[in-house]
Amino acid sequence: MEPILKLRNLKVVFPTNFGLIRAVESVDLDIGDRECVALVGESGCGKSVTSQSVMRLIESPPAVTRVDAIEFAGRDIKDYGPKQMQEIRGKEMSMIFQDAMTSLNPVMTVGNQIDEMYRRHQGDSKKAARQKTVRALELIGLPEPTARANSFPHELSGGMRQRVLLAMAFACMPKLIIADEPTTALDVTIQAQVLKTLRGMQRGCGTSLLLVTHDLSVVASIADTVYVMYSGKIVEKAPVKDLFTAPQHPYTVGLMAAVPRLTDEKRKFTQIPGAVPHPARKPSGCYFHPRCDYATAECKKEMPPLVKSGADREVRCFHPLTAGGRQ
Amino acid sequence: MREILRMNNVSVHFPVKGGLPFLKRGVIQAVSDVSLTIAHGETYGIVGESGCGKTTLANAMIGMVKPTSGEVLFAGKDLLRLPKEEFKKARQKMQMIFQDPFSSLNPRFNVYQIVSEPMFIRGEDDQEAMIARVVELLELVGLSSEDLYRYPSDFSGGQRQRLGIARAISLNPSFLVCDEPVSALDVSIHAQILNLLVMIQEQMKLTYVFISHNLADVKNICDRMAVMYLGKVMESGSSDRIFKRPLHPYTQALLAAVLDTTFDEKREQIILQGDIPSPIDPPLGCRFWQRCPQAMEGCKTIPPEHLEVEDDHVVACHLVHGFPAVELPDGYDRPVESLKK
Repeated sequence: MEPILKLRNLKVVFPTNFGLIRAVESVDLDIGDRECVALVGESGCGKSVTSQSVMRLIESPPAVTRVDAIEFAGRDIKDYGPKQMQEIRGKEMSMIFQDAMTSLNPVMTVGNQIDEMYRRHQGDSKKAARQKTVRALELIGLPEPTARANSFPHELSGGMRQRVLLAMAFACMPKLIIADEPTTALDVTIQAQVLKTLRGMQRGCGTSLLLVTHDLSVVASIADTVYVMYSGKIVEKAPVKDLFTAPQHPYTVGLMAAVPRLTDEKRKFTQIPGAVPHPARKPSGCYFHPRCDYATAECKKEMPPLVKSGADREVRCFHPLTAGGRQ
Repeated sequence: MREILRMNNVSVHFPVKGGLPFLKRGVIQAVSDVSLTIAHGETYGIVGESGCGKTTLANAMIGMVKPTSGEVLFAGKDLLRLPKEEFKKARQKMQMIFQDPFSSLNPRFNVYQIVSEPMFIRGEDDQEAMIARVVELLELVGLSSEDLYRYPSDFSGGQRQRLGIARAISLNPSFLVCDEPVSALDVSIHAQILNLLVMIQEQMKLTYVFISHNLADVKNICDRMAVMYLGKVMESGSSDRIFKRPLHPYTQALLAAVLDTTFDEKREQIILQGDIPSPIDPPLGCRFWQRCPQAMEGCKTIPPEHLEVEDDHVVACHLVHGFPAVELPDGYDRPVESLKK
């Protein structure tokens, strides 16, 4: 299967008064055709910077980006200029942001905002664009699409706004959609609706999806492959089922144990000690070693490489957990 | 059961002014007709989606908003009718932990000033005693005396939430309202703060009101709970019983909407249609009927009563109790057609 996106050795650095902030360090990412890849991690781990770098949205300066390749649909877009990127953004690759209220224009009707997609990328007339917009809104499950196209963002509820963003992202049937925390701002019942729509649309349109999130339960419900990030590095990559049934990196294990579940016993919360290191003051060796139960002298000195650890699996740890116990 | 707080038919309404002189003026019914009792030393959970009135209810509990009607009894005294001085005294016993540790701490105060402020307001003036007390509190919540003169910007989200907790317990309260204390924090910090809250509760014999939209947290931390929807309590009582046998369709849907990270069993997914209606014009009958997968015609107009189905498990739903036997409209028990898909 030829991947739709091949990201090789991405490094993003922000020089600040407090020193260099290495937001992303040597990240490789592959997204297959029609695949849903999730990028999971806590705040500050570099997951959003990675996803925005794919769309070349990170401004430089202040950021300094080095990348070996961003191969998208068979061509390398790493040296594309702003004009060329504009042709790709929205048409072949589009993005869904977390906060629908701030990513929609408050003084334009949502219909006009979606119309723009068709007029800009497909050269449609006003009338034809509106017809397509109404159809897109209908497809996404918005009630009364014709009337809704004439409303302003503030007249819609949070769930409806997020649906409008979905309609906009899917408007030109892009090859890749990047969804940055698409459901974090929503309530649980609305989250369930939006995720179902997102998954349905992704399958129906044959798009690939890069899902950026901190919520493991969202990952479990829609992703195919998962990359776990910690402090700017990928620490584990695995197919979703394998990751949840047999996590190998101690951080992944801790993260999963830290999420309270409905099936848990009362009053016991498993915790990971300490906190995520400050991005300008990362520890030596493996970045996770100060919080890791299994850390040895080796972990303090050297950063472990990302090694193959099974079918389609990679892990960055000297002492990965295996199904039969600790190596 | 020794009760510490009782609310009798509390309603909180906020008037909304129309933008133009002749525009209709409305009332937001943030909380309507809520009665509950909270026992000494327990953790009481309030669950619901955003806009369902859970924060307003908590604010009404500690007298931060004045209820439009109803009464709030704290340790037997009606909070709203207390003279100002006595209210201030009672209020020392009730404190709050806020959701957002970034906006709830004054960025220009150092740690000592933040944590000692409640003592200062009470009229404490012995500087040394206050420093000793602040250090003691900091150590209790897992910070150290070295942090005394640092500013909130030097701390991470989890540490700031610890500061908020230290400030809340500085006057030895007996009643603590935790308004979504962990939802702004990272997953790995989440459990640390919950464990800290449990530890402090055991040490100081506190009563908690735990507001959350995360059902898994509530299940693991709360003894009793109330599920709210659009300003009304839908189901309340012992959390064990509610989680074991949720009876209200809204509780069932909420539980089903919690995504799980286990792959063992495929649970039934109930996906609710539509959004929460506006609290300005709430539905006449059951407030949930527009989204209820099992709504009947009668649900539109007849409000359900709160009735106990088993010991310490109260539900307000016609499906559970049946309709009251007074003047029922024709076809009251027909399913609502428009909701069928």
